Formats: sequence, structure tokens, C-alpha cells
Amino acid sequence: MNTSYGILAITVVALATLGIGAFGLRVSRTTSDFYVASRSVSPVWNSSAIGGEYLSAASFLGVAGLVLANGADMLWYPIGWTAGYLLLLAFVAAPLRRSGAYTIPDFAQLRLGSIAVRRVASVLVVAIGWLYLMPQFQGAGLTMRTVTGAPGWVGTVLVAAIVVVNVVSGGMRSITFVQAFQYWLKLTALLVPVFFLLHAWTDDGRPSPVAPEDWFSPFTATDPTGLYLTYSVLAATFLGTMGLPHVVVRFYTNPDGHAARRTTLIVLGLLGIFYLLPTIYGVLGRIYASDLIAEGRTDAVVLELPSRMLGGGTGEVLAAMLTAGAFAAFLSTSSGLTMSVAGVIGQGLARGRLGGVAAFRIAALGCILVPVALALSAERIPVANSVTFAFALAASTFCPLLVLGVWWRGLTDTGAIAGLIGGGLCAGVAPVLTISMRPDGWFGVLMSQPALWSVPVGFALMVSVSWATRHRAPSNVARTMVRLHTPERVDVDRRS
Amino acid sequence: MSVDPPEPTGLKYTGPKHTGPKHTGRVRVTSPLASAPRHVSRSVSQEIDESTGVGEVYMRSLIRSQLRAALTVLTTLLLSIGMLPVVFLTVDASTSTRILGVPLPWILLGVLVYPFLCVIGWLYVRQAERAERDFSDLVETSADSQRGPDPRAP
Repeated sequence: MNTSYGILAITVVALATLGIGAFGLRVSRTTSDFYVASRSVSPVWNSSAIGGEYLSAASFLGVAGLVLANGADMLWYPIGWTAGYLLLLAFVAAPLRRSGAYTIPDFAQLRLGSIAVRRVASVLVVAIGWLYLMPQFQGAGLTMRTVTGAPGWVGTVLVAAIVVVNVVSGGMRSITFVQAFQYWLKLTALLVPVFFLLHAWTDDGRPSPVAPEDWFSPFTATDPTGLYLTYSVLAATFLGTMGLPHVVVRFYTNPDGHAARRTTLIVLGLLGIFYLLPTIYGVLGRIYASDLIAEGRTDAVVLELPSRMLGGGTGEVLAAMLTAGAFAAFLSTSSGLTMSVAGVIGQGLARGRLGGVAAFRIAALGCILVPVALALSAERIPVANSVTFAFALAASTFCPLLVLGVWWRGLTDTGAIAGLIGGGLCAGVAPVLTISMRPDGWFGVLMSQPALWSVPVGFALMVSVSWATRHRAPSNVARTMVRLHTPERVDVDRRS
Repeated sequence: MSVDPPEPTGLKYTGPKHTGPKHTGRVRVTSPLASAPRHVSRSVSQEIDESTGVGEVYMRSLIRSQLRAALTVLTTLLLSIGMLPVVFLTVDASTSTRILGVPLPWILLGVLVYPFLCVIGWLYVRQAERAERDFSDLVETSADSQRGPDPRAP
């Protein structure tokens, strides 16, 4: 791959990101601007921004890599990431917006009136954020190495630095512009090369992928572990999306609950269009780049295909385009995550002597260092697999909190804490064990995809402990329900 | 003192209670409804604001209809996409069939799933917004009727 085109592409994306961020800076003044863009973002802008933020390195590079390596079974990942939005739309979108809180810890405190729940939720936001940021930074390192031959840490540190500058200077309003721009950049970067690649494939006589039978079809062998893993991935992604901190914070930027629903519906469409593409790269990769499997660099397939299939100037320009898209993916997801984690830590700090904006800036700087250190030290696992740990953790903790908090009056603070800690421990210990010990057999399978058992644990603990402590149910629950569920145009008392 | 003539509950002679040794003069004759709190012509939003039984009923029915819509989405997902792994595992034809040379699972999982999800989402939003419109119509209609001809309205 031509190094100078690749570096040019990365530079352009970095400058465009910082430039749009600076444009947002001029209108970003108050604390509310910083956190939620003063809640004045229209559905189309907001859904592009959600799409831009959500489509991470896992979607842009990881899905194609997994399809290349493992075939049809891997198509469940993008399906789960899209269906997760559908459940988010159905169960929490409008009530979450109507709650009027900035973050999940805010929601927990508002609904349950307990500082302790707020603290536990804050710790979990930080944990999920770090778990999700780490693979983004690793992917940035891999992309940088593929494109320029530079050592892996260069890309990691570069992305981290741009994210910090952008988040610290502009906050959410500029991030909204940046994210919306990056959705369209990512879609274009993935869509345009597809036409050239398919054309080259047709000229080549449309060869079929060469692969064992189980690559072509899901579950050729009656293997219970395959079935368990599939359902566990589905559980994690279906239910985890609604609990991801950078997804949830987006809903507070909608003007009202009605707009929150419309936004989510548009996001479903945007994701559906995008996810048609990585599969094509994965299948073409199986034909033209299957040696990447042996090298363990399947995540690089999207970047390498143009130069392998087309070569020459066209191949290099398209490769540079895909590099730009990949960098947009790292930047947008990392920015969104850093925003939401810094928002939660910053709100905690702001209780002290610091002002809201100063606290937010310090938190943003601080909260990015840990995942960078993790990314540089931890062993590489495929990026789409490692983000699933973050999904499983969110599905086991925040999904029960949000769903029960919105729909069940009986939830108590003690029950919520029990579920958050219990579900969080189950889904949090699993990746640590998997990465550090690599256990074998059924235990290893259960640990590698914990969601199918850890989500029921989270729900069961929350329901049973709430029921046992039902005298602790907040006295203002009826008023909170009015606030969460009545449409804004109805004139009722919404104080909690 | 006003007396509401059409009330079937009739007039009530409240005199005897107060006719102690000190009260031997005029007797006060009044309807209990005149001094009782007004219980008619309250708007639904007032009922909700005051968390009365009626307000609770309205709120619970709104929440229940919204929850039913959300659970319908969940059930649809589980019975469609959720069943696909089992179908692929048990029905051989589902994995061996090819359309235009592409195996059926790839078409289902790689393409058709996405428009399907969008359609469910669209149907859900339509249903949820209809429920909210019904609710706000109900509340606003009741508020209008309260503003109608009410002799005791201030």
C-alpha cells in the first residue's frame, strides 16, 4: 500500500475532525452546551451523529475480518448491533429522553432517589467505557501499522490525542457535528470501493470463495457450543446497546420524546444500509486475502483488499479512502465514549470546588489514559469480539436498570444496586478470566460469551431484591412515571 | 346560602347538631354539596397531578399500552431472528438452498434482516405515537369540557 496516500488520508480526517470541532466551539459556551448540546439537535443530525458514533472499528474493520475468518456465523454480530437499536427504541428511547437526565447515573438517581445507586452506576459507566475504548485504540494502532508501517503505539496515541483535544475544546455540540460528518464519511468510504471491487471480481470471472463447508453455512455440525455462543452474542448485542454510555447520552440531545423515537427509527435505517457492506468485504477477502487468517491480521482485510484486487493508482486511492473511513470510525466512537465517561466523572468532580466545564475537561483528559495504557499492554484479540464484552457488561447491568426503572414501579434502590453489582461481576469477571487464563471446555465457552447467563442474573437479582425490600420503593414513583411516560404536549406536573 | 334544587340527596337539616344551650336562634339549612369539595368537572391532568385513583387509572392504562407495544416488538424479534439459529440447525433445506448461487442463510442474515428490522421499528413508532395521541386527546378534551358552562366556575 502506498504510504503517502494513507498518511494523507489520516491527516485529512484528523484535520477535518478538529476543524468541525473548532466550528462547534464558537457556539459552545455553557455547561449544558458541553454535555448535551443544549438539547436542540434535530432528528436527522442526531441520528447521523448516533450512526457515526456507533459504527466503531468493530463495524468498519472487525465484521469483515470475522466473516473472512469464520464465515456465516459472524453475520449475527451486525444483526445484533442493529436489533439492539430496535429494542432501545421500543423500551427506553422516549421515556429516557423524558426523564430529562444527562447520564445513566442521573437517571438512576432521579428514578430511585439514591446517591448510592448513582455511584455504582457511575463506576459501571467508566468500566464499560474503558472496555469499549481499549479495542478502538488497538484497532487504530493496527490500521496505522498496516498503512504506514509505523509501530502500533503511534496510531493509538494519535487517536487518543485528537479525541482529547476535540472533546476538551468543544464538548457535545461540536462532537455532534463531527459524528454526523463521520457517519457519512464512513458510509462513503465503504460504499464507493465496493463498486470497484465487485467490478474487478466480475472481470476475474466471479470466483467463489474457497472455504470449508462450515464457513458457508451456520451450524453445519450439531454443536451445542456453537448454538450457545450464537444466542449469547444475540443476548449481549440485543440488550447491551441500550446500556452503552455513549449511546444513551445521545438521547438527551433530542428536543423531546417524540423526536427521540424518530431519531432512533432513522438510526435503524442508517445502520441497516451500512451493515450490508462489511459482509461483501469479508467474502471478497476470503477469495483474495485468505492468507491474512494465518497471519492473524484479519481485521486488516478491509484496508488491504483494494491494493490486492485492483493495484495501481485506483487501488491506492481507494485504500486511502478506506483508511480515512477507519480513522473516522476510531475517532468518532472514541470521542463519544470519552464524552460520556468524562461527563459522568466530571459531574462527580463538579461537586467539589471546580466549575462544571473545568471538571469536565480534567475528567476527559484523565479518563482516556487508562484505556490507552490497556490498549498498549493487553494482548490483541479480534476487535469485534472484544467489544462484545462491553456489550455483555452493559446488557447485564444497565439494561435491567433501564427496563425495570422505566416500566416497573416496584424497583428499589437496594434491588438496583444488587442487580448492578451482581450482573456487573458476572459479566466483568468473564473477560478478565478469558484474557488472562484462557480456560478450556464448557467453562471457557461460558466465560468467552457470558451474556446469556449474566443478563438473567442481573434481572433476577434486581427483581428479587427489590421485591424483598419493597418498603423502600421511592414515594414519588407515581410522579416519576408521569414524567417518563406522558407526552410533552400534555400539561401535567412533571416535578419529581 | 345557596341550595342546589335538583339534588336528589335532598336537603339536610343541620340544625340539631349545633342547637346547644347557646344556639337557640336561627337555624342554618344547607345542602351538604354546597360546602363539600367539588368532585365534578375535574380535568384528567388535574387527576394525574393529584395522583388520585382516576389519574392512576389513566396513567396505568397509558403505560400498559406502551409496554404491550414494546413487548410485541421483543416477541416478534425472538420468534423471527431468534428462531433462525434453531431453524438453520434443524432444517437442512434452510442452509443448502441457494438463490442465484448465494446460500439462503447469507441472503437472510446479510441482507433481508435489515429492512425487516426497519419495518418493525416503523410499525412500533406508529403504534406508540397513536397511544400517546389518544392519551393527550383524552386529557385535552376533558380540560376543554371543564372550561365549558359550569355555573360555579370562578
